[in-house]
Amino acid sequence: MTYFFGKKTEQLFIWLFFPLALLLPLFLEQNEFYVNKLTSVVIFAIFVMSLDYLVGRCGMITLGHSMFYGLGGYLFILIAPEFEAVNFWVYTFYICVLAAAIALVVGVIVLRTSGVYMIMITLAIAQMCFYFFSDSVEFGGNDGLFILMKPDTSLFGLAFFNLDDPLHFYYFCLLSLFNCLVFWKLVTGSRFGRIMEAVKDNPQRTTALGYNVFLFRLLSYVMASALAAYAGYLFALQYGFVNPSMMSWQTSGSALVMSILGGMGSLYGAILGTVVYEGLHYSLEHLTEHWLLLMGCLIIAMVMLFKAGIAGFLENLLERRK
Amino acid sequence: MTHATVLQTEGLCKYWGGVKALDNMSLSFHDKSVHGIVGPNGAGKSTLLNLLCGSYKPTAGRILHQGEAIEDIRAYQFVRRGIGRGFQKTNIYPQVTCLENCCIAAQRRVGGSFNILLSKNSSALLKEMAEQALQQVGLGSRRDTIASQISYGEQRQLEIAMVLATAPSVLLLDEPMAGMGHEESRLIIELLKKLKQDYCIVLVEHDMDAVFELSDQLTVMVNGQHLVTGCVDEVRNNSKVKEAYLGQGDEVI
Amino acid sequence: MDFAIFLVQLLNGLQYGLLLFLIASGLTLVFGVMGILNLAHGSMYMIGAYLMWYFVQLTDSFVLAALLSAVIALLLGVVIEKTLINRLYRRNHLDQVLLTIGMIFVFNAMQSLLWGDDPLGVAVPGWLSGSISLTELVEYPVYRIFVALLCLLLAAGLYLVINRTRLGMLVRAGESNREMVECLGIDINRLYTIVFGAGVMLAALAGVVSAPMASIVPGMGEHVLISCFVVVVIGGMGSIKGAFVAALMVGIVDTFAAVLLPQLSSMIVYILMAVILIIKPQGLFSS
Repeated sequence: MTYFFGKKTEQLFIWLFFPLALLLPLFLEQNEFYVNKLTSVVIFAIFVMSLDYLVGRCGMITLGHSMFYGLGGYLFILIAPEFEAVNFWVYTFYICVLAAAIALVVGVIVLRTSGVYMIMITLAIAQMCFYFFSDSVEFGGNDGLFILMKPDTSLFGLAFFNLDDPLHFYYFCLLSLFNCLVFWKLVTGSRFGRIMEAVKDNPQRTTALGYNVFLFRLLSYVMASALAAYAGYLFALQYGFVNPSMMSWQTSGSALVMSILGGMGSLYGAILGTVVYEGLHYSLEHLTEHWLLLMGCLIIAMVMLFKAGIAGFLENLLERRK
Repeated sequence: MTHATVLQTEGLCKYWGGVKALDNMSLSFHDKSVHGIVGPNGAGKSTLLNLLCGSYKPTAGRILHQGEAIEDIRAYQFVRRGIGRGFQKTNIYPQVTCLENCCIAAQRRVGGSFNILLSKNSSALLKEMAEQALQQVGLGSRRDTIASQISYGEQRQLEIAMVLATAPSVLLLDEPMAGMGHEESRLIIELLKKLKQDYCIVLVEHDMDAVFELSDQLTVMVNGQHLVTGCVDEVRNNSKVKEAYLGQGDEVI
Repeated sequence: MDFAIFLVQLLNGLQYGLLLFLIASGLTLVFGVMGILNLAHGSMYMIGAYLMWYFVQLTDSFVLAALLSAVIALLLGVVIEKTLINRLYRRNHLDQVLLTIGMIFVFNAMQSLLWGDDPLGVAVPGWLSGSISLTELVEYPVYRIFVALLCLLLAAGLYLVINRTRLGMLVRAGESNREMVECLGIDINRLYTIVFGAGVMLAALAGVVSAPMASIVPGMGEHVLISCFVVVVIGGMGSIKGAFVAALMVGIVDTFAAVLLPQLSSMIVYILMAVILIIKPQGLFSS
């Protein structure tokens, strides 16, 4: 555990967050609304974490990550038979692989560029995808489509959880989030992670040391996209529908804000950022119908004053004395 | 006696639009020796180095490594063939330790760089390679210091250590002594003397005393053109060289 | 497609392209000179349109409303540069993205607060209403021709300023080498303020003139922003000439695709962009 979650703050956060998240529904059991709300936060955190890896750990700023989030949902509708319950695990696999394949193609185009160009081209490609789905009659246009049959979750004949029970689904998503964190920690601590970080810090030097920088970037892009699609797939299953707004640039934008709010590149900060942002969103929304104004001001203030995000702030607070 | 030819260029050219940065350069670089490249600013020395390490693609001409044409392969593949390059401006990973800098450089040799599940600290061999490279340049005591916190001279040494950690047979060094004090330069000169027993070194350097002291072969370039190649004394007494340098009034040999 | 329809589409495409150029030129100028990627640039277009609506209600005069809107947009640009953008010059692109996303949020909220979320419209002024006939059967609205000519005029003005004045010289120098301009001992902050303010004003002017042609709706800024990105990416980041060529290209392709390939129409410019980027990753006119 110490080896894995290196920093003290990070360990502390994990020991606090996951037990708390496990216990929280017990206090809300009567209220399905809150459990669903928590679930959607947890799902979105999976998405934000994949973006956090891409932007914070690989230095690839993308504004088109929501495309894969949306594709996760649409791919399910596209490949699953309409009136038949398919196996959840098998389709999880299919969707991740398909999204990875799409990311491979998109990545080859996108990664020819870098910096500002990459920001703009990722945004434009995601918009293309957005318009494709919102204009298409087959995919229900702006309204999207409903998932008529939810998948069956049995594995080797054993049903682990029931997708229709919000509580079951919440715990499953929480487990997924934890697994994602472990996965990204493994990746960043691996030999691949070492070179990826080198690529981020100094691509020219890394090329001069004999590494194919493009392939490192591409693999990272593919992995992050596949997990973004996984999050989108969970979202689609939770609400039972998909619509194009999943892939709107606002989805990418707010994910980016959450990731920076949490502390870019810290991975666990993605969870922090998502929880805080969604918490603020929820409470501001109740406070005033013009919550967007407060949110915007908050973001601007954050860029100006609060550069390292919440994770950086906490780390400073807890680990400064040495 | 001359050693075997390791790296060779034949009629190498690099044009930027109409500007001939490098024109018709044919040179041979030998094993276990230092080949100095000198010339006034804008002579095309850095262009030559960038071509030799694959950063630029030549407009025309060939580069032969161990007799094979390599001008068409990608930049990172040059390193895999054993052509390592040090930069003029210090080009290290400043935020990690010196040892980690060399681990990054050496990891390609132990493999697994695309393994996302293999811990980066799992290989004792890798650490050994990195430490060896640090010791070769005399930075053994700095292994756990963050690279941005060592002195400028030490960073130049680290730069060389990183190239060595890639296990090259050819070292392309771009002004390794640039911006250094006398003491520090001495250190690098002694280091290069030691290294030339094992490597083919191509040295671009402005410090003439150092070049004369180290070089077995010396090439003088002017305006992208080859002027003369020979041993140090030949070059020193060459009338064309004197003319080129005095005419330009740039540096005096 | 007969000739008359072709002509109408061509005119539409040119007019749309010129309008896009007006907006994209500000975006590309601000990036080229200042190194700032302003995602809130589309919001300036939206603000221009809403201001126009507001002042037309207030003054009942098209010209006066347009002038007032432009002046206010310019002031807004100057204030934003002085208070927010000038803290960003030494920061990375990520901070710029974040700050300008925050600005989009604020502008959208302000729009909803001040003017509501219902679609609004501005009438074409009397002296520009009506149509001229291209053939016996096909007519073309005068207002659209007016917009195209105005945009051309502004583009020509921009060209003259950039190529013939001292300010333009600094802008061109800043595009190719920002550090150098700073070394020349020029008050770089003032240059930045002027460029940013001008960029905002151009985008707002585009909003002003398009107000009578399309309905004024929330979210119009984001939509146009993405189109401008396509223009700037195709043209080459920071290149005014590139933006001009690319804007016309996007305008014409987009307009004709709507007629010829309706099922692909909203995607076609992105496909165009992807193809161009595969051939030239830095855009058509990159330095």
